[in-house]
Amino acid sequence: MPPLIEARELTKRYGKHLALDRVNFSIEPGRIVGLIGPNGAGKTSALRSLLGLTNYEGHLRVLGREPLRERTSLMADACFIADVAVLPGWLRVDQAIDFVAGVHPKFRRERALSLLEKTSIRSDSRMRELSKGMKTQVHLALTMAIDAKLFVLDEPTLGLDLLARRSFYDALVNDYMDETRTILITTHQVEEVENLLTDVMFIDKGHIVLDCSLDDVARRYAAVALSGAELEAARGLRPFYERRTLGKTVLYFENPDFARLGEFGEVLTPSVSDLFVAKLAGVAS
Amino acid sequence: MKNTSWLIRREFWENRAIWLVPAVIGGLLLLGAVFGHVQFGSDLFRPDGPGGGVPSQVSLYALSGVVTSMFLIIMSVYSGWYLLDCLYADRKDRSILFWKSLPISDSETVLVKLLLGLIVIPLVYFAIADVTILFMALTLSLRTGAWMASGLWHPSLWLQTQGFWLYTIITLAVWFLPVAGWLMLISAWASRAVILWSVLPPLAIFIGERWMFGTYYFGRELLDRLGAGYARHAFNVTAGGEGWTREVIHRDSGDDAITYPTSLWHLLDPVGFFGSAATWIGVAVGVVLVVAAIQLRSRRAEI
Repeated sequence: MPPLIEARELTKRYGKHLALDRVNFSIEPGRIVGLIGPNGAGKTSALRSLLGLTNYEGHLRVLGREPLRERTSLMADACFIADVAVLPGWLRVDQAIDFVAGVHPKFRRERALSLLEKTSIRSDSRMRELSKGMKTQVHLALTMAIDAKLFVLDEPTLGLDLLARRSFYDALVNDYMDETRTILITTHQVEEVENLLTDVMFIDKGHIVLDCSLDDVARRYAAVALSGAELEAARGLRPFYERRTLGKTVLYFENPDFARLGEFGEVLTPSVSDLFVAKLAGVAS
Repeated sequence: MKNTSWLIRREFWENRAIWLVPAVIGGLLLLGAVFGHVQFGSDLFRPDGPGGGVPSQVSLYALSGVVTSMFLIIMSVYSGWYLLDCLYADRKDRSILFWKSLPISDSETVLVKLLLGLIVIPLVYFAIADVTILFMALTLSLRTGAWMASGLWHPSLWLQTQGFWLYTIITLAVWFLPVAGWLMLISAWASRAVILWSVLPPLAIFIGERWMFGTYYFGRELLDRLGAGYARHAFNVTAGGEGWTREVIHRDSGDDAITYPTSLWHLLDPVGFFGSAATWIGVAVGVVLVVAAIQLRSRRAEI
């Protein structure tokens, strides 16, 4: 089975600035991939290219299609939420449902309605009357009612309060996720998504600095918290990053000798957010 | 085309002014006809009025002429604004990111908006103007009695005004295609100040031509396109001759001559319009501009 998304030498320029610099990656069906990076790292450029919203250089196939040229047919099988609150203010909730039902062959109206029933949103409200969180719920209900193979979320919870963010991800996890769907999600709030993901990609300054499954993270990365003489000794195993915390120093290793590392203390798998900090700080130094 | 009908419906949801503005104007005119001092030619053509004795059909010409030109002027302004805003507003409020997540092509989107600006909006104005004129005629007839009624109820004249309107809508759409294309191109391209951007480049070309060559060809063509050119190409504007009736009215104060088209059909000049090079050069320029707007639309997400 060919990968769902395949990018080779993908490059995106804004004038002289390279937002993406000859990036290679592929995403297999059924994965939930987090594309994680600091602001301005190239996340949005990557997604805009994948979704046919902007031109790019290099080879790019999404669901077997060339995104920019074949956006219309791509959007029959892929859906996305790019940023929060992009539903126009004049649109009423029932109009939004009617419209998507009218133009999208894979939209299931009953599903959208049942998702909205769980909220307090009235179907005759205009988007401008709704809070940011409610607008996001409407958008999510519209999108989750589409039987798409690929669902792309770009910073879907930006600017939402904690409750709204939590209910957004709850809805995504409980009502949407199954093995047949592929989800690509970008965020810089790593903690929120790390329990959802099967794969992570770290992107920084237009380059992919890490691309692996979470299973591989456990196999490839290790962290040990140490102090004193043991710390000095463990440094000999060449950690790629260290961080001081509560009197101890956490050392991060890539492809370490797990047996030898175990002699110093408990070997932990770093969380995605810790690994993100370690990787990006490691790259910087 | 399922998408097309939904896209048209969406435009009506978004731009309620499309029908609200003409409906309000029509309503006000009707109120005026019901409660106001009787106007629109009626006093003029009263048997004892200054235009007394004028052929009765002229009062329908006068009524529909005044009402339709009012609608036409407001419609042109609104349509122009609509076309200038239609590919810009959703980039500004970023809702383009929602519309583009649906399987609708950019050419479909742009062409539907063009259709709205050139055909659908004029049709809405036409329909509302038509109803307004009908009710005004009815009201004025009831208020003034027979002398007005006799002038307003010529079934064949009513048919003529419909034909006149439809011809006007079609020829306006063809003639103003390059203008619409230009407005849409700016709408798809500009990141702010669409009005300014729509005016500045033509102005710059005008000044540039004047400065470098001392000539005014561009400005003259542009003014002709926006102004007198349309009427000159689409209609027989010179009064008199074949198809025109000249009548002399005898009054105590002396004789008075009046010239009016025997039928509205004589005003239309479809052969001249569709046979004119200016028409087709405009269409060609319009097509290029619309294609460019579609290209821009497909490469730009938000501002």
